[in-house]
Amino acid sequence: MTDDPELFEELVREHQAMVFSMACRYLRNRALAEEIAQDVFLQLYRKLPSLESQDHVVHWLRWVTAHRLIDHSRHEKRRPQSPLDDAPEPVASTSSTDPLLSDMLRDLVAALPENARVVMILRYQEDLDPMDIARALDMPIATVKSHLQRSLALLRDKLSREKGVGL
Amino acid sequence: MNLEDELRAALRREDPSPGFANRVVARAQSSRAPKQAMPRFIWAVAIAAMLVIGFTSTYEYRQMKAERAGHDAVLALRIAAEKLNMTRDKAMRREN
Repeated sequence: MTDDPELFEELVREHQAMVFSMACRYLRNRALAEEIAQDVFLQLYRKLPSLESQDHVVHWLRWVTAHRLIDHSRHEKRRPQSPLDDAPEPVASTSSTDPLLSDMLRDLVAALPENARVVMILRYQEDLDPMDIARALDMPIATVKSHLQRSLALLRDKLSREKGVGL
Repeated sequence: MNLEDELRAALRREDPSPGFANRVVARAQSSRAPKQAMPRFIWAVAIAAMLVIGFTSTYEYRQMKAERAGHDAVLALRIAAEKLNMTRDKAMRREN
């Protein structure tokens, strides 16, 4: 691929929702998510000549965004880390696509540890199967499955423990 | 709906604010422009500096050579004049 500005603009428009949403779900901060998404695309612009295909671009974007987000939260001193146990208690609701439940789930996912959070975002935002997530993150598939199982169990527990939301 | 479906709904993709792509493209182009202009600018300055140094040193060398030739000519004339004076003095002494 070339670093042709028109091709680059096309790629940004095509993949902006993926990169921005990954950052937004991970950080729960739209301004910071846009900043990181911009940096990822600028890095893509410099890298374009060495990328071979659209699939390669998508894989590269997921990999760089995921690692960028993990690095960011590890080095972020200003934003205090909130473990899952400290996350706000959910408001009871069982209806599907309930905006309050969705918001609560986003908070709970954002409170997961870094690697588990990225795995959950790739699984449920990007709809990748565990094998693709393992490839995207250079992570053993057993680790990916373990993150998914543990995170789902934690979320179920958090939702049902006090407010009785059973999912 | 089960938890996984709820998660898919909660984590579905969303677009960044309007104009995001334009801002990214503008930043990419502005970050590339100085990188391309810089080597050309450096090459132009280097060539100009080399030409100035070359012309200056050639000019100074020629000027120094001309000055030395002038000094040599004056010295040669002095020596010739002294010899002529000595010869004239000898000739006058013989006549006396």
